[in-house]
Amino acid sequence: MLNYVLRRFLGILIMLLLLSFVTFVLSRTVPGGPFGKVEVPMGKKQLELFKAKYGLDKPILEQYVTWLGQAVRLDFGVPFTAPEMTVTGLIFKLLPYSALLGFLACVFSLTVGIILGMIAAAHQNSWLDNAIVTYSIVVGSIPAFVLGFVVVYVFAAKLAILPAGGWGGPKYLVLPVFAYGFPAIGGVARWTRQCMVDTISSDYVRTAYAKGLVRSQVMSKHVLRNALIPMVTSFLPMFPGMMTGSMFIEMVFGLPGLGKQFVLSSTNRDYPMVLGITVFWALLLSVTYFITDILYGVIDPRVRITQKSS
Amino acid sequence: MTRAKSQRNAPETRYASNWVAAWRRFRRSGLAMFGLVYFIIILFVAVMAPVISPYPYDRVDYGITLQLPTWQHLLGTDYLGRDMLTRLMWGARPMLLVGILTGAVGMVIGVPLGILAGYLGGAFDWFIQRLVDLFSALPWYLLVLYLVMVLSPSVWNLILALSVSSWVGSCRLVRGLTFSAREYDFVEAARALGIPTRQILARHVLPQIAPLLLWGFATSIPGSVFAEAGLSFLGIGIRPPIPSWGQMLGQAGQYWMYYWHVFLFPSLCIVISVLAFQGLADGLRQAIDVNVNV
Repeated sequence: MLNYVLRRFLGILIMLLLLSFVTFVLSRTVPGGPFGKVEVPMGKKQLELFKAKYGLDKPILEQYVTWLGQAVRLDFGVPFTAPEMTVTGLIFKLLPYSALLGFLACVFSLTVGIILGMIAAAHQNSWLDNAIVTYSIVVGSIPAFVLGFVVVYVFAAKLAILPAGGWGGPKYLVLPVFAYGFPAIGGVARWTRQCMVDTISSDYVRTAYAKGLVRSQVMSKHVLRNALIPMVTSFLPMFPGMMTGSMFIEMVFGLPGLGKQFVLSSTNRDYPMVLGITVFWALLLSVTYFITDILYGVIDPRVRITQKSS
Repeated sequence: MTRAKSQRNAPETRYASNWVAAWRRFRRSGLAMFGLVYFIIILFVAVMAPVISPYPYDRVDYGITLQLPTWQHLLGTDYLGRDMLTRLMWGARPMLLVGILTGAVGMVIGVPLGILAGYLGGAFDWFIQRLVDLFSALPWYLLVLYLVMVLSPSVWNLILALSVSSWVGSCRLVRGLTFSAREYDFVEAARALGIPTRQILARHVLPQIAPLLLWGFATSIPGSVFAEAGLSFLGIGIRPPIPSWGQMLGQAGQYWMYYWHVFLFPSLCIVISVLAFQGLADGLRQAIDVNVNV
């Protein structure tokens, strides 16, 4: 187990190194830097001074090593577009908004999705099952930003009971969370149904019925507990996934989160900020995958054995 | 598993060829048929857009901006007075291009790597596996956004950036399938006869996994359609004046609360397309008649 943990840890480190290297090199080599299109044209001398200030005149590899040395101490430098702050400071200032939005949307879609999936699986191949499956396919086809427009139109513009965007309290979160979480319900419901159906058709469930157990007992003790394993492992990464994927929703509702910042920073070619957010998000994602895998081994002893032997 | 199933189904499909049986299973799903019909129609619209669209897609007319649907402009006009129907027809092009080519490029990279990794095993397999691990741990949405940004937005760069992550899925699928196909008796027999590996892979292994590849390809389309719409919506996908549905939604930003048509029609196009391709993929899975867990 320890061997496995160490190996996974090493894998994450290599991934982060590679990711940061690729993004770093790309950002420096592609034409059109942050000083490429400015309102006030700069003289050659001035441009060189600026480049020297940010270390842009040195060889790329040297720039990367310098950046890496600071990055391991969580110092990603200063954003070009907001020189009064640090990248790390700005990330931690904006993170709570994205994290809260992603977390609530996740909880919303998981609650509704799991309930729907369980109902469908319990009544497999009935009209109710068909209705839920069809519903989840249709729901999954709506992009979150389209739904965002629709709910703003209905609840903010026409009914005027909820704010259309911006930030200022729990009321401002209702529409974004709904628009973001609703399309995700489809996937959750289908996966829950699949996991439950797979378990229901397994031999030990048939044995349980043969022993004379009643349906409710089999469902709660045999089916649910075993179906939970694949569910946990695919639903847990949803949390960081939705926390980092909220850029569309943040743009529609004008929420001051990391996703919106990433889009804006990319448009302005604010290298330090873009690099900082990318590496930070990659770290968040890989740590969650890591925890999920460990947890997988804890819930399911069979996995532990294969991990050891591999 | 595949064989056990087809044997069990043998009496029912005895007189039907594989293709006929597959078509029969495909036809059973209403959503799949809808997907197929939609695909044919939208392909026709996309290819024939220059011929059948009523106006040039970039003809600006400030006299008729934001007009609701009329007989001259069946779906109304946008904020520059451009015909919505025309732009929606042209918008089918980037949607199909990105949706199909992203999966295709992913397959061109992923299939050879996956088939070799699954068949050869050993050090090569280990290396490919680590590569797949590495790429699947990347925050791909960020990477795509970033790549499109630095490469400057265009259809081709969008496809390129999306392919960076799309090959992983097909590689993993093909590797798993090849891994089990390697154990089939006829593959072993071919090996025993001394047939070169290249020939075994092309003649014996690839035909075995081809139907599932088709399914894998179909399932990748909705995601790419989503990505194209989303990125164009943010203004970093398809660049104006070439229209794309996501981009039309992004441009509708300030007007849609008062002019419903600039928002409704592009949204419907995106939603229906994703739904149709999902139905198509689902129908293919039923046609192949295999339970896939990947």
